[in-house]
Amino acid sequence: MKKITTSFITFGLIFGLASNSELSAQTLDGKQIIEKVYNRPTPPNQTSTLTMTLINKSGETRVRTIKQNTKDFGDVEKNIMFFITPADVKNTSFMNWTYTDATKSDDQWIYLPALKKTKRISSESKSDYFMGSDFTYDDLGDRKVEDDTHKLIGKETLDGKECYIVESVSKDKSYMYSKTVTWVVKDHFIELKKEFYDEEGEKLKVQHIKKYGDFDGFYIKILEEMVNVQDKHSTSLFFENINISVNLPEDLFTERMLMRGI
Amino acid sequence: MEKGLIKLLKTPWLVLGICFALTLVFFLQMKEKSRLETDLDKYMPQEHPAFVYSAMAEEWFNIKDGIIFAIENENGIYNTETLDTLKQLTKRLQKLQQINKSDVNSLYTADNIVGTEDGLDVKAFFTKVPKTQEELDNLQQTVRSNEMVYGRLVSESETVTLIVAELEDGVFSQEFYDEILAIAASYHTENIKVYVVGRPIVEGTLALLAPADMKKMIPIVLLVLIFVLFLALRKIKNTLLVMLVVLISTIWTFGLMALIGIPIYAVSTMLPVMLIVTGVAYGLYLYSHLEGYIRDNPAATKLEAVSNMLKAMSIPVIITAVTTSIGFLSLLTSQVYPVKYFGLFAGFGVLTSMILSLIFIPAVIMAFGLPKFKPAQEKSQLAYKITASIIKNKYVSIIGTVVVIVLMILGTQKLWINSSFLDKFEKDSDIVLTDKFINAHFGGTTALNLILDSDGKLNTFKQPEVLRLIDKMQSTLEADVPEVGTSFALSNFLKRMNKVMHEDRDEFDVIPDNQNLVAQYLLLYEMSGDPKNLVKAVNYDYSRLNVTIQLKSDNSKTINSAIAVVQSFAPDFKKLGISINFAGSGYKGLVFSDLILDGQIWSLILCILIVIILLSFMFKNIIIGLISGVPILITALIGFGVMGFLNIPLNATTALLSSIAVGIGINFAVHFIYQYRSYAITSNSSLEAAQKTMAHSGRSISFNAIVVILGFLVLLFSVFPPNRELGFIISLNMFTSFVGTLTIMLVLINKSNVYFQNKDKKLS
Repeated sequence: MKKITTSFITFGLIFGLASNSELSAQTLDGKQIIEKVYNRPTPPNQTSTLTMTLINKSGETRVRTIKQNTKDFGDVEKNIMFFITPADVKNTSFMNWTYTDATKSDDQWIYLPALKKTKRISSESKSDYFMGSDFTYDDLGDRKVEDDTHKLIGKETLDGKECYIVESVSKDKSYMYSKTVTWVVKDHFIELKKEFYDEEGEKLKVQHIKKYGDFDGFYIKILEEMVNVQDKHSTSLFFENINISVNLPEDLFTERMLMRGI
Repeated sequence: MEKGLIKLLKTPWLVLGICFALTLVFFLQMKEKSRLETDLDKYMPQEHPAFVYSAMAEEWFNIKDGIIFAIENENGIYNTETLDTLKQLTKRLQKLQQINKSDVNSLYTADNIVGTEDGLDVKAFFTKVPKTQEELDNLQQTVRSNEMVYGRLVSESETVTLIVAELEDGVFSQEFYDEILAIAASYHTENIKVYVVGRPIVEGTLALLAPADMKKMIPIVLLVLIFVLFLALRKIKNTLLVMLVVLISTIWTFGLMALIGIPIYAVSTMLPVMLIVTGVAYGLYLYSHLEGYIRDNPAATKLEAVSNMLKAMSIPVIITAVTTSIGFLSLLTSQVYPVKYFGLFAGFGVLTSMILSLIFIPAVIMAFGLPKFKPAQEKSQLAYKITASIIKNKYVSIIGTVVVIVLMILGTQKLWINSSFLDKFEKDSDIVLTDKFINAHFGGTTALNLILDSDGKLNTFKQPEVLRLIDKMQSTLEADVPEVGTSFALSNFLKRMNKVMHEDRDEFDVIPDNQNLVAQYLLLYEMSGDPKNLVKAVNYDYSRLNVTIQLKSDNSKTINSAIAVVQSFAPDFKKLGISINFAGSGYKGLVFSDLILDGQIWSLILCILIVIILLSFMFKNIIIGLISGVPILITALIGFGVMGFLNIPLNATTALLSSIAVGIGINFAVHFIYQYRSYAITSNSSLEAAQKTMAHSGRSISFNAIVVILGFLVLLFSVFPPNRELGFIISLNMFTSFVGTLTIMLVLINKSNVYFQNKDKKLS
């Protein structure tokens, strides 16, 4: 359940600070680049307001705004989210505990105010796509470096930033992506753009970070887009009010807080 | 006209050379470019509002036709072998290029929404195939308690389970069809049978079977016609020459079709039989006249004989070809392109047969010499007697006609329209039996999509009031229409969620009573299930909703009765600002048949009018025009009446026949009246003119009738029911127009005294 773990942390989409002194671009190979992406340190606390927009192929949209809080407790990461809009789901809340121990499943709760009940939900790997979006839990998290074979296939300037282009081929032939191609910003080790190829080797999705910012030395995504080029569906994630300097209290991440709402 | 034709007689070899050269050109075109159209969507008029809406709805809700694989194990499906087959076949289908992975649904891919003591669980029914008895029993219990799959993917008898694989548009081909059948067969074992059914299979089989069957029929039709023609012409050489003319005109027709790049549609496969059967009449009349002339003038040269033949027969041959082609060309009024093209090319083929008969046959005679005929046989006595008897007993014809008309009007009351594809197959064919088998175990193999539309008003379909009305409509449908097996909509999801979130208690198997709860359930489902399932149920802003109604039959009566129940809810939906539309292939088939029939009524009326007007002008007399129309009017009526009595529904094929029958059936009247008019000049009474006409043309008209009746009757030996119906009805039509011409029309002409009024006046 590691993938779900990471998904909710990275829902804040946090990027660690990569020190320039470590950089010796010429000598890095594909695997080392992806390791640097993977190993970026993350801030222990984060709050933000997320606007998630789903756009289907007919151009219809579903927009949700969510207030979310994340805290890293070392062996467990806890995330709590409150829906602000649409009005009919206001105060619906969702909590997720992910354990560092990969053998331990996530704990998930949802509170439905109209039902006045908290329910536990168990999601298996079936829940590939997160909340009807184009992101799978894997896309939101960082997939383990050793799951793929990485190869540096080029360098390119993208959106005015110098990037490595790394091709990562899945070792598990039955994995939903046969390969991904990632544009990693040289200076910050951010995955600026990523292409996903399906089992048949056809291009499936393109992820693009449109905007990111420097928060106390942490590089954090502000606007991100994922387009499924096959079924013409897309998702954009827009983070506002990002705050990493708070110290979130431990009792925020409890069933009682779920029910209390925002 | 005749002069031009007679001029051509001087250069027979040139005429023959040109004919053969053109035939070669058309033949090469046909060989190179002919293409059979098997995609039934191409048959539909895409710009028609119902089709435009359906296409949009199919896009919104990802509505596609599914191929259904049924896995049967008579000992029950809850064993490792059957479940493993289910899993393997599901995975095999997901890998096919023509099928999207996510469009394959089975117990292996389905979401199981379960209520647990403290929450909700959405998971697969199984991922690893259960091995122990305990695991198998658990699975059985899980399925039984989930009404979203029980009775839908697993039969209540627990001996059959389904895999539904939805197809992209236009991917169906003979190869794919064979592949599908081979895949299904490869999973057969001693215990397990795999059946394949579903609309794409039915449509695909139909698109391949109908033309294949027609192809088999052509040589038989040819043989029968050669036999009948030989009886009429008594010369094998003449018989083969007449056949050659119709074969050449068929080649020209298909060559032209290939040349302008029009594909061969299923309906166009009727063309060869149509052209061959109608086309031989021209040669038959020409040779019959020639034979009579040579008998009367044994010393005539070939130029004299052929010139006389052309002088006497070219006008009636041209008129009959024009009226026949009007019958075909009236199909141009149809909104359906394959029907339009069929009419156009059949019209072209008929005119080609006529022109070739008038230039090719004379050219051959000029090049190779006159046929020899045995001395005349005296048969005119018989013709005289029959004619006198018909006219003497005119009340038999008149009363008979009135009785038939009354009876047939009663018959037409029973006539019904059927757009079913399945009803076109033999009742004991594999495809029908499999369909029956699956319908006996599940909701139904035919899907009708009901699209509810709030015209852009957001969140309409989150309102409990609206959802409850939908739920009520679904129950009414399932209760009132026996052929409705199940229906599926957002309401089913919500009832399931509501029940599950209340510890699986049955009293919560209802629509939640406030909108917030609906919205929160849906959000919960999106977070824990496969939200793509909702795409088929409702659009993004909850302003449009899709109800899938499963029917156990695809015939029009069934679809219409379901539509009627839905329409009875229309006022209630209207009060809530919701309009009703339909979509999907079952509905499109229904609209399509209506379109064909609509067009048919117009083309029939148009055809009869044009023929009557044309003949009024040709014979310079409107009364003659009207009288000539009597046999064909009766013919059309009898055709529909008999179909009513015999429970043969109107469908795309049978509906086409009425105007075709008018176009061919009028020929008997044309030949009769043409001769009658010329004999009227030299006769003293209408009876005498009629007797002379019968003596001269009676035999050729009768043989013409025998040719068309037997030619089409051959189709009764077809293995394809619609071709049999076609053969039966058109033969019947030919028979009734023939009988009508020689009875009621003869009586009416005699009664009307048209060509003798002036003579009578002079006498008095």
